[in-house]
Amino acid sequence: MEIYGYQCSKCGHINYPNRTLCGKCKNNAFVPVPLPKAGKLLTFTRLSTLPGDFDVPEMTLGIVELSNGVRVTGQVEIPKPKMGMAVESTVQVVRKDEYNKYYGMVFRAK
Amino acid sequence: MREVYVVGIGITSFSRLEYPLVEIAGYPAMMALKDAGLSSVDHVYVANMGAGRLNKQTGLASAVVDHLALTPAGAEAIENGPASGASAIKQGYMAVASGLHDTVLVTGAERMRAANSLETTDFVATLTHPLAEYIYGVTLPSLAGMFTRLYMDKYGVTSRHLSMVAVKAHANAMLNPFAHLHELITMDGIEDGPDAGTNNPMVADPLRFYDCCPVSDGGACLILATGEVAKKLKKPMVRLAGVGQATDTHAVHERKDPTEVTAVRLAAQQAFGMAGFKPSQVDVAELHDAFTILEIVESEEAGFFKKGEGHKALEKGLTKIGGQIPINTSGGLKAKGHPVGATGVGQAHEIVLQLRGEAGARQVKGAKRGFTCNFGGFGNNVVCLAFQREG
Repeated sequence: MEIYGYQCSKCGHINYPNRTLCGKCKNNAFVPVPLPKAGKLLTFTRLSTLPGDFDVPEMTLGIVELSNGVRVTGQVEIPKPKMGMAVESTVQVVRKDEYNKYYGMVFRAK
Repeated sequence: MREVYVVGIGITSFSRLEYPLVEIAGYPAMMALKDAGLSSVDHVYVANMGAGRLNKQTGLASAVVDHLALTPAGAEAIENGPASGASAIKQGYMAVASGLHDTVLVTGAERMRAANSLETTDFVATLTHPLAEYIYGVTLPSLAGMFTRLYMDKYGVTSRHLSMVAVKAHANAMLNPFAHLHELITMDGIEDGPDAGTNNPMVADPLRFYDCCPVSDGGACLILATGEVAKKLKKPMVRLAGVGQATDTHAVHERKDPTEVTAVRLAAQQAFGMAGFKPSQVDVAELHDAFTILEIVESEEAGFFKKGEGHKALEKGLTKIGGQIPINTSGGLKAKGHPVGATGVGQAHEIVLQLRGEAGARQVKGAKRGFTCNFGGFGNNVVCLAFQREG
């Protein structure tokens, strides 16, 4: 399973998340490109007040700069994360509610 | 454009209010009408974020205008997340300045504590990007936590600085009878003492319990009018001199420099540009400290201090009552409370009170110019207002 970025067919900028018009040049045609798995953990937080859908007491979230420079937000499963460390993602279920399962990126130490 | 004055103000306590939402919107409006000496207005704006979800009520403006017996005045609800309040004031400003209406009532109201905390956390988190943030469990505290870690790393802000913001906010709130938290806290109790870890546990590290605002119910109201109406009503003349608004990327990770809150800088510049005065001329400001770090950051982006120096100014006591630029004299969102849709109106209420010289024990002596920053989402929609006392 992959998470896709949306590469502008005019200027090449990879928009993530997707938008109607390119964030850089305002063009409206994109080619979906799989996002790279590897990246660098820019920042993180260990969160202990979670919304109702999460049946865990705590969870770590982070912002990662992927190897192609695109930044993403995801869940982090690293006991003692450090800013700047190398990480790698898998795509798995990150949230479940009554009706749906949602897939997203979970980062672990590389 | 015509000049726009604040002719009436009203507010409820910010706390847990066991009243229907229309009454939380209606009570401060009644007080503001009384304050202004008006019995009718041309138009009503209601600032609110959660009625549809938390209170199972839509079409709130129609309910409020009828509750206040102000029909057949036009009425609309304005939703711009936690910046709904200042957005509604901006709409009121435009209506009066443009010549469409002579008197506009702007009331903000929220009843968040009608829902349980899991539901409220999730409700506020729906502000985040649905696919790139929300699904992961991203909440506003978590965005603030990730932001704080970067800010600490880049500028040397420490948890002590954050606690100093909280201690100041709580001390100011003690002087505000309408504030949510009347609880004097000390550096010893939340930072230095042996019980600090128990009193002040991590919420979204490095942010702790006392770095986060409470979940509040509350309402606040401003009545805006033309100079002609204002002169007849004989209240101290406080002019809404500048409005500014700017947006930024929905997903926080997309920002070029994730330690900059560009929308605050741009909105503040617009507001000051329009008002014709500089940040250094401001006597009192209300900044959107939903998290303690935000007071420090906004004090820089608004132009009161250089980037990276807000925490040093705080250390020197420049932002206390009696300091160079008192910030959050009301207690701020941190201790006055944060009924999301009403917050921006509450901020403006405090500034008008200060500029009228009616702020009692927390009065900033001789305050003539005031500023508010109402921060929607995590800085993706910011509305700033500048006020000036005349006469």
